[in-house]
Amino acid sequence: MIGVGGGISLATLGGACVFLALALALYALITGVAGALRRDARLQTSARMAAVAVFLALTAAVFVMEVALLNDDFSVSYVAEHSRIASPVWVKVVTLWAALEGSILLWGWLLSGYTAALAVTAPNTVLRPWALVVMQGVQIFFLGVTAIAASPFRLLVNPPLDGPGPNPLLQNHWMMAVHPVLMYLGFVGLTVPFAYAMAALITRQPGVTWMTQTRRWTLTGWGFLSAAIIAGGWWSYEVLGWGGFWAWDPVENVSFLPWLTATAFIHSVQVQERRRMLKGWNLLLVALTFSLTILGTFLTRSGIVSSVHAFGDGPVGPLFLGFFVLVVLFSFGLIALRWDQVRDRAELDDPVSREGAFLLGNIFFLAIAFAVLLGTIFPLIVEAITGDKVTVGAPFFDQVSVPIWMAIFLLMGIGPLLPWRKAEGHSLRRNLSWMGLVALLAGLTAFLLGMRLIYPLITVALAGWNLVSVALLLHGALAPRIRLANRSAVSVFRQYAFESRRRFGSMIVHLGVVVIALGVMAASGYRVDQQMRFDFGEPVEFRGYTLTAIEPFEDRTPGRLTSGAIVEVARDGRDITTLRPRINIFGGNQQSAPTPDVLYTPWHDLYLSLAGDVSEDQNFVVLRVVQSPLVIWIWLGGLILAFGTVWSLLPQTKRAERPATNDATVRI
Amino acid sequence: MKRAVYVILAALILVFAGMLVFRALSSSLVYFILPNEYAQDPLQYDGRRIRLGGIVETGSVAFDNDDLRLTFQVTDSLQTYPVRHGGTPPELFQENTGVVVEGRFEDGVFVSDNLLVKHSEVYQAPKPGEAVDIEALKDSLQ
Repeated sequence: MIGVGGGISLATLGGACVFLALALALYALITGVAGALRRDARLQTSARMAAVAVFLALTAAVFVMEVALLNDDFSVSYVAEHSRIASPVWVKVVTLWAALEGSILLWGWLLSGYTAALAVTAPNTVLRPWALVVMQGVQIFFLGVTAIAASPFRLLVNPPLDGPGPNPLLQNHWMMAVHPVLMYLGFVGLTVPFAYAMAALITRQPGVTWMTQTRRWTLTGWGFLSAAIIAGGWWSYEVLGWGGFWAWDPVENVSFLPWLTATAFIHSVQVQERRRMLKGWNLLLVALTFSLTILGTFLTRSGIVSSVHAFGDGPVGPLFLGFFVLVVLFSFGLIALRWDQVRDRAELDDPVSREGAFLLGNIFFLAIAFAVLLGTIFPLIVEAITGDKVTVGAPFFDQVSVPIWMAIFLLMGIGPLLPWRKAEGHSLRRNLSWMGLVALLAGLTAFLLGMRLIYPLITVALAGWNLVSVALLLHGALAPRIRLANRSAVSVFRQYAFESRRRFGSMIVHLGVVVIALGVMAASGYRVDQQMRFDFGEPVEFRGYTLTAIEPFEDRTPGRLTSGAIVEVARDGRDITTLRPRINIFGGNQQSAPTPDVLYTPWHDLYLSLAGDVSEDQNFVVLRVVQSPLVIWIWLGGLILAFGTVWSLLPQTKRAERPATNDATVRI
Repeated sequence: MKRAVYVILAALILVFAGMLVFRALSSSLVYFILPNEYAQDPLQYDGRRIRLGGIVETGSVAFDNDDLRLTFQVTDSLQTYPVRHGGTPPELFQENTGVVVEGRFEDGVFVSDNLLVKHSEVYQAPKPGEAVDIEALKDSLQ
């Protein structure tokens, strides 16, 4: 169709870019290894330049794909299989990651971007060449898949006139433009500490250097992954029509697994930085985190576990399994080989210390990760052994993870208050009694207000516990300074917030976690979910609201047919809003996507979703009506958490007291 | 000495966690079965949540507009059970199509709270007089 570049088809051009990138990555790997072994600066520089070239070649490939998508060039296989002429421009742009082949291209591209940024900005240490080599190794896998097994750039000799368009669930919400990119930025970000950890093992330098040099990368990857998970929850809430935000679906689980281990990692890193302990543990965690991102991709993309958002099966599954096995053998093998160097010689002075709390928290995070992994793959185990087909229901995940979460929230309040090495009994007891008192009061208030479910009650109590903990932390940090400097509290606070970004940022993140926990508990424990019949024009009472379905409506835009019902919402005799729960049908594939409509309020959401058909000859409509308290807190808590992460990532302003440690660390 | 205490403590936590996990797992396993598998051993699934797969029997579908209750018979051609689903029929729900319902048996009636329509291109309904391929049916519904 449209031949950009004088006769060369876009499929050929894009494919050539991918192969060029693959060749460059192979070159970077070989020169990188040679340069590192021979300590040859010129070879090392050449490998770094090649890393930048890989990025440029892949940028070109992504650009070609976008041109093909925007120009509806159906001679490119990916465009023919997943795009559609009638889609709006933004949908065409994001179709790049709406299906498997494009997602892997995007993943590879982001990885090449991180690698290039690392090649350019990372400080010149003995770790850098090997870290880049590991990054290129991962890169070669993704490029190999894109170039050979799942190429989005196959040339179709007889292109169709139009394609089916992306999965309707994906084109139905703008979040689709954001969530997958965040997820891949998270996964890729966590590749950097993995690469440095492997470099540290290869060069026999398993000290703290690899961590301090990747602190910002790790936190960036973790922040993106957190944001992606919360964004995914919101997408699920806004699109899937069941009024929930987390279903323990395998796809959700596998994104949650590396998050859990990464969260454990960013805490235990501090123990090694301060106390030179947990060397081996940290290496294991970072290897586990990276392995889990690959395992997750294998589980969900191979079709061996069924999931609502699986892309279906293909040749990619076995490749990811093979790569997973390779990564596990390589990383854990390397750790085993160097075990003599990495095992801890120091012992815990006292379990009641910051490192003790962090270690216990780590065990809790890993316990949740283990349970979630077990629940996700258990159907496979059962089918392999007994042949029975089973699924593991959501209750399993709730039963196992919720109590451990409670323990984590308890520790979250204590850990940061404890000093390193050994806690002094008196101040600890005083702090704990304040926290316990407020927790008790908070729980009691919730009980008197009518809450009876045990976990939400504990969550409220622990929210109080943690708020006091943050207040005590701030007090402990600020009070002496105010006394000494004889300045106003506000100016001391400002100075502290800007100078101790890492510490202050962590307080904000923990605050975000508290807000999220309250939202999750209230929304899951106190959700009211009903199917109700609405005769048009007849008001129906629902938990203080008067809902009146006025009439059905239909709306046609090019390529999309929307049908739904107009529902007026009133409370205490006053009209509040009009909601339009509807179903969108996208022309290409005749699949429909439910589109609930939500009234967001600070204390609860009113959520309407069509259940069954609306048609002209029917004088009623059936709606799923959901009222869930505090849902919005989850999204707001997510924003707080993201803000806290960014806060601690920003460079510190001047710091007089002590010299900046390792602030030569790279930044994007 | 200290190390031994930690090891014992860790082992205890692990055993406790393991028990917790396996109790939760065994109580929330949801078996996917066909009507004839249920008929072979109803006691095994007594009071348990299961996913029941099968074909919607022709002529058995009824929907009560006021109660919002859908009733139909689900069959694998060896065994047939009545299903009561609380809610409207989902889109694409029709007679002689594959469905999976989730819920439990109550007095011989399967009470479902989740109804999934399965469109399978693999499974071909048997012609009259032909034996039904149970395995193929089960695979196509999974």
